[in-house]
Amino acid sequence: MDAINWHSFFFLMCALVACTFAIAVVIASNIVRMACYLVISLAAVAGLFFLAGADFLGAAQLMVYVGGTMVLLVFGVMLTARGPFVSMKTGPAQWLVALMAAGALLFVLVQASFSIPAWAGPLASQPQPATLPATAEQLGYGLLGVRADQLDQRDAVARGGLSGYLLPFEIISVHLVVVLVGAAYLARAKRRVTKLSTNTAGSHKP
Amino acid sequence: MNPLVAPIGLSHYLVVGSILFVCGVLCMATKRNVLGVLMGIELVLNGANLNFIAFGSPMLRADQSNSIGLDGQMIALFVIVLAAAEAAVALAIALNYYHTHATVDVDQANELKG
Amino acid sequence: MNPNSIIPTLLATAWLLPLASFVFIVFFGPRMGRHGQRAATVATAAIIAACLLSFTALGLWLFQHPLGHAAHGDHAAAVAPLAGDWYALGSFGALTISVGYYIDALTIAMFCMVTLVASCIHVYSNGYMHGELHDVIDALAPLSNGEPMRRHGRFCRFFQCLSLFCFSMLGLVIAGNVAMVFVFWELVGICSYLLIGFWRERKSASNAANKAFITNRVGDFGMIIGLMALWASLGTFSFSEIFSQVRPAATEHRLQVPDGMIKLAKQGEVAEIVKRHSGDLDAAQKEIAAQLPDWRAQGYGYGLLMLAGLGIFCGCIGKSAQFPLHVWLPDAMEGPTPVSALIHAATMVAAGVYLVGRFYPVFTPEVLLVIATVGAITLFMAATIALTATDIKRVLAYSTVSQLGFMMLALGIGGWIAGLFHLFTHAFFKSLLFLCSGSVIHACGTNEMPQMGGLKRRMPITALTMLIGCLAIAGAGIPTVVGLSGFHSKDYIVAQDLSFWSHNPGFGGIFFFVALIGAAMTAFYMFRLWYMTFAGNPRDGYVHHHAHESPPSMTVPLLILSLMAIVAAWNIPFTSIGLDGLLHQAQPLGTAQTVTGQLVNVTMPAEHLAHAHENSLKAEWMAFAVALTGFILSTLFYGARKWNPDEVRRAFSPIYKFLLHKWWFDELYRKVFVQPALRVSDWVAAIDKKGLDVIADGLARLVEWTSRIDDWIDRVFVDDIINRLARWTYSLGISLRVLQTGNIRQYVIWITVGTVALFVLMSMYWDYAIAGI
Repeated sequence: MDAINWHSFFFLMCALVACTFAIAVVIASNIVRMACYLVISLAAVAGLFFLAGADFLGAAQLMVYVGGTMVLLVFGVMLTARGPFVSMKTGPAQWLVALMAAGALLFVLVQASFSIPAWAGPLASQPQPATLPATAEQLGYGLLGVRADQLDQRDAVARGGLSGYLLPFEIISVHLVVVLVGAAYLARAKRRVTKLSTNTAGSHKP
Repeated sequence: MNPLVAPIGLSHYLVVGSILFVCGVLCMATKRNVLGVLMGIELVLNGANLNFIAFGSPMLRADQSNSIGLDGQMIALFVIVLAAAEAAVALAIALNYYHTHATVDVDQANELKG
Repeated sequence: MNPNSIIPTLLATAWLLPLASFVFIVFFGPRMGRHGQRAATVATAAIIAACLLSFTALGLWLFQHPLGHAAHGDHAAAVAPLAGDWYALGSFGALTISVGYYIDALTIAMFCMVTLVASCIHVYSNGYMHGELHDVIDALAPLSNGEPMRRHGRFCRFFQCLSLFCFSMLGLVIAGNVAMVFVFWELVGICSYLLIGFWRERKSASNAANKAFITNRVGDFGMIIGLMALWASLGTFSFSEIFSQVRPAATEHRLQVPDGMIKLAKQGEVAEIVKRHSGDLDAAQKEIAAQLPDWRAQGYGYGLLMLAGLGIFCGCIGKSAQFPLHVWLPDAMEGPTPVSALIHAATMVAAGVYLVGRFYPVFTPEVLLVIATVGAITLFMAATIALTATDIKRVLAYSTVSQLGFMMLALGIGGWIAGLFHLFTHAFFKSLLFLCSGSVIHACGTNEMPQMGGLKRRMPITALTMLIGCLAIAGAGIPTVVGLSGFHSKDYIVAQDLSFWSHNPGFGGIFFFVALIGAAMTAFYMFRLWYMTFAGNPRDGYVHHHAHESPPSMTVPLLILSLMAIVAAWNIPFTSIGLDGLLHQAQPLGTAQTVTGQLVNVTMPAEHLAHAHENSLKAEWMAFAVALTGFILSTLFYGARKWNPDEVRRAFSPIYKFLLHKWWFDELYRKVFVQPALRVSDWVAAIDKKGLDVIADGLARLVEWTSRIDDWIDRVFVDDIINRLARWTYSLGISLRVLQTGNIRQYVIWITVGTVALFVLMSMYWDYAIAGI
């Protein structure tokens, strides 16, 4: 009996939790429960990030997604979860079609995952680092325009394409500001336009 | 092969990513609640993110030199940021839709059909 | 005595006993007991005796040729078949037409299966047809004045036809040459015509009989062409001579174009050589023989070999109800139910599959590909139609067509054992299912499943045996442990599909997925049938109230057949004797090799490759998973009633209509073949009747036609082009509008489907270079 590979053990645990609760999100019909399951699934994904050596990303995932986005979503749920909207059923025909399409997609994706032998896992001879380097600092340099992990790149052509992420970083930050202002504008409290709502409600076909 | 003893590879991460992705697609395809559709999108983004992280990690594959390195984490970081922005805007739209139509059923939102 | 002479004698006796019964009933039938009641006893005794003789022959054969431990690969010590002639009918030049036999393990196994199933059906018919013992008032055949017809019972006539049917089928199986096969082939057709049209006064029955007979003629036309190609080039009809020319021992039984076909293809040069040697035939022969290898290498005669194979297969398409000649089989349900069971399980449709198996050494890989394609289309199409049918017998009929497709598919991709294995197991469970449905119809007086329901409590034995039949056909079993007969045979087919896919990456996967989808649909519609008939609450109080369990003469055959449906694929305990080993022994020489086509790039993998452990394990689990999926869906819809089938029906109403009308095949054939034929015959009649008038008529018609053509040109070329352009644009807009439904979830599904399609397309060019490795 070989020693238990703890990386594999924790990976399996996190993967199981993530997948189980993702499936639970699909199956659950109550919107509040779905939100709870989603939180658990996303937290487990953060665990997977840690296991893959992305410590900063894992933390960001926990804070931004599980902390921030989910709070936002739960707010939305609370604002709209009333009576008939809490659970809305879909017909079996649509389930059937969706399951067939999704099944085909899953088949294709899983088949592709196993199609490259080199992806199956590290070689036994490959050295595994006992501790992984923290990535937050490297990411920070990357955002400022320096690729800390590629400093010893010899290839002159490759060096030309390794200028870091300063410009995308700037664009993203402006984008974020615009989006948040826009979202606040859209979601601001306003008087309900009763005329429009009654009109559209009347024109729906059952 | 005992999964507890053998090392975990890139393929395993990819499978978890695909399951999350497909769950997200199913969520989008079967939920009538607009918030359910949003949750599906979050799942899809997470599935994709997991792939980026896994491809960026050098210790999961036999040919380490082909790993995309820090790029993977960088892209994943951008995805998280954009997902947060997307969630904020989409939620604002959903609230607006709820205010004007008094429902969160996406099936009723077909006024733009041909 | 020598077993080699006993076995042919035993089988010949088994073959001729039904004929004796037939002749006896023809002469003395009506005088035997009241309304010929004793005729049933004679016919039943004859077939049971034939059954016993067949099993004796099987025992002798096994004693003489013990089954080896499934010798994989090309078996060096293959068992030589017993072949010979009993009686030469005549010789015309080089051609001798004789009554002969060709007996190998396959022949004997077919004999046992046919006689056993037929015995059960005979016993069952004793109970089922008792209505024919007295005068019959047939409400379904009204006279011209609207009153129901009154006629004498035809009890002895029914058994007379059954005997003839068994005789024909056994003759087809034992036949030693193609000419004899053809004779019995046609006899089987005649018998089916007589029995499908047994209630000939009913319009639907006589139409169905005609349809079966005429559709089979279409296939036989191709078969005659194949026979001519064989005889013109090889000069013989005998199986053993044909096989030894096509697969000579000198080339390790590999398929090669026989000399006769090359000479026929190079006729001109052969004549020239003979002329050059001016009468010295020996020298000419020598020179031709020297040229033959060259010509063979250039591929001369290969087309002729394919033509022979395709022609023979044409006949099998008609008999085994393959696409596009499958239309007769569902209509054949108009006959009495025991006849349907006989046609579907043991005799008529089995003949086509049997002939493909028998002629297997002659088929080139290209022909096999055609067989596999036809089988795959048939399998898929019939299974989809069975999903919507509501007539209990029609569901079974389409399931037969679908299962026959399975067999043809298996044979076509190199699975000789797989295909014939399924033929045998299918014979047992399908005859069981039909006899059960007969018992239900007998009890309810209707074929429509929506009027049944809840019959489980009224007819427990029928319900139980039908459940066994459904489980067997769906392939129920526990992978790697044990399963009903259908589980094993379907598993063989799926394993062969997988093996074929791995040898033909790309299109090979199509056959695999069609087989899997077909298996899932099989489980779905069979359990739909069972749930609708036996489970739930009764839907029609009158029918339910009058239903009762059938008499023992009907339930005992059901029990025997259900036992066979369970164990047919198992070996006899503690021995290696079983159907599987028997078929391994029967596999024709040289066909267990991997072969590649000359014209089409296709590889037929050797069958033993499919039984490699990993492959067969994968196949077993996949077959199990899809059957389980079908079963669960069926339970959700019809058993537990969690989902409402009507909703699905409404959601897919165009598809539902398409399936309900059986893919519009009948309508298509009516338009394309029947109506033109009727029109032509009308014209001929008119010419006959009117004589000289027809010239004037014709002239007038000619003028009318010219003006019509003129009119047509006017309309098409002057104004219609512009109108049509406008209409096209308009309708294009309208039809594109439908795509914009505004339904988000539908868009998501389309995106998913598109992604998968792109991925599959891309994966055809996928290699490591793209992955950057």
